[in-house]
Amino acid sequence: MKKQIKAKKQLAHSQKYTLLSFEKRRSIEGFLFSIPWLIGFLGFIVIPLVLSVRISFFQTVLTDLYGFQGTSTFVGINNYVKVIQDPSIGQTVFESFGMSIIKVPVIVAFSLFVAVLLKQEFPGRTVFRIIFFIPVILAGTIMTYLFADGVGNMSVFSTITTGVNEINTFFGTIMSNIGSIMWASSVEILIFLAALQSVPATLYEVVEIDGATAWESFWHVTLPYISPFVILNCVYALVDSFVASDNPVMSIMNTMTQEGTKYGQASALSWLYMLATLAVILIFILLTRRWLK
Amino acid sequence: MTTETVNTAGADVSASQKKSFGGIKGLIKRYENLGYKAKKKIMHFISRIFVYFVLIEMAFLFILPFIYIFSTSLMTSQDYMDPTVQYIPTTVNWDNFVKAYQALDYIRSFFNSFGTSVLSALFQTVACALIGYSLGRYKYKGRNLIFLFVVLVLLIPPQVMILASYGLWATLSMVNTWGPVVLPTVFGLGLRGALFVLIYMYFFQRIPDVMDDAARIDGAGPIRVFGIIMLPLVKSAIAIVFIFSFVWHWNDNYEAPTYMYLEGYQTLQPRLANIRNYFSLYAQSQMMSELDRALSEPMLFAGCLMVMVPVLLVYIFGQKQLAAGIERIGVIE
Repeated sequence: MKKQIKAKKQLAHSQKYTLLSFEKRRSIEGFLFSIPWLIGFLGFIVIPLVLSVRISFFQTVLTDLYGFQGTSTFVGINNYVKVIQDPSIGQTVFESFGMSIIKVPVIVAFSLFVAVLLKQEFPGRTVFRIIFFIPVILAGTIMTYLFADGVGNMSVFSTITTGVNEINTFFGTIMSNIGSIMWASSVEILIFLAALQSVPATLYEVVEIDGATAWESFWHVTLPYISPFVILNCVYALVDSFVASDNPVMSIMNTMTQEGTKYGQASALSWLYMLATLAVILIFILLTRRWLK
Repeated sequence: MTTETVNTAGADVSASQKKSFGGIKGLIKRYENLGYKAKKKIMHFISRIFVYFVLIEMAFLFILPFIYIFSTSLMTSQDYMDPTVQYIPTTVNWDNFVKAYQALDYIRSFFNSFGTSVLSALFQTVACALIGYSLGRYKYKGRNLIFLFVVLVLLIPPQVMILASYGLWATLSMVNTWGPVVLPTVFGLGLRGALFVLIYMYFFQRIPDVMDDAARIDGAGPIRVFGIIMLPLVKSAIAIVFIFSFVWHWNDNYEAPTYMYLEGYQTLQPRLANIRNYFSLYAQSQMMSELDRALSEPMLFAGCLMVMVPVLLVYIFGQKQLAAGIERIGVIE
């Protein structure tokens, strides 16, 4: 009897041992696969980030950007103070935040709508799925020119809303930018398509047998199932609008660096802006974490 | 119409006329009396019409810029100004393309754009797959931390680092080479690298465990499992990442122009952004009229078309793979 227990214990121990070693081996393997990226992360993200913090505390010249040679002067938090005290910068930041907050729900709702339509089975859907990625091709300078020429400006829509003053500015902004908003939603449509296609078909069959309409099954099956992706898309759209090169804050930074003497201030502004965006995103995630799982 | 309303009114009043259905009310009644299958068929038909209607409308909005660019690029400046000429030019003006070709310094800029885009796309496709594989299929200490890093990289605006990185590249005297754009992608970073890592991670997570367990029992090492078993299973992710990476690098009008700004080292995007200046200089040297100088728009859009063509080709030829990727993305096998 004792022998048996001992043997059993030994067996359990050996099993545990092999399991552990196997797992350990696998975890080392997994880590090895991530090493190239970590090296790159250190070299191309961490070092520049640290250096940019350093720049933000200096009054720098281009030949001595990091202040190691002594030609640049250490100014402490002066750069930050200057940025905060500049009223035009603060106003631009708030305006661009406001614009993003107006835009994001529209982008997400629109892309969800399109993704639901594109998920249906119908002849020719591949063609449509391809068409909705066209804006990705046109991004960059071409898009800027198109907007400058007013191609994304649907004046037809903006005239609908004139008359109601309170709502007018809000809907006016959305409607006159409807083209640009729609064109910003390609990646979001892709993410939603992925999410929708991962909803198990059996769930739909169950609610259909229970007599649910398509509308009900959307609200009670689809939406709860893909809610994490809705949050993900909101975050993606927020980030996308925060760092877009046509964002007014970005153009302030560009003009600062082009002046040639305000590198420290540009760095300070970019750090403050980044912290502000991260705060907005964090607040958003905290508010919506109920739907994340 | 009047007789029908009378009929339905009659049906409401007297119960004897139950069979005479007409008008919208009647239609609804007739629909309610149908069987389950027929009902479903009708609803399906109606929803199909609705879907086509909405999609065609929106697809038109998405194609509109294409049409606009194409038609404007063929116009003369008179056509462009004429409000009666909409979309269809009166005469086809190929001269726009010749001028845009010169203004863009097309061959050299094309070479720079194409080289950086193809190399970056290739490197990102491979390197992001490695880290995505590590995050998607392994559990190890620090895996969550690395995942957090990836998300952080996604959230950090490139503008925060560009000044410091520019200084670094300058000390390495690699400004005005392809290095600053291509080298980060070798490690799976670079333009939107974090997004590609997440896409790969997502795809790798979906593959059932039995796949690599079987290969391991047969004695395959980790690199073999990755290269021979796993990569072919995420073909659609590879297509998505390669195409998007190429297109985004091609359209990059922020980082690449910052690092490659000297004449002859520029990519197409900054050339296109400065095309107006070029035309005004050109017009001055040719003693052109004020009107002609201001109206460089058709040439500008000819330039847009020429910049677009390679991406369009990649898109058209990769379209099958891309469509397959979109079809399969998220589908549970």
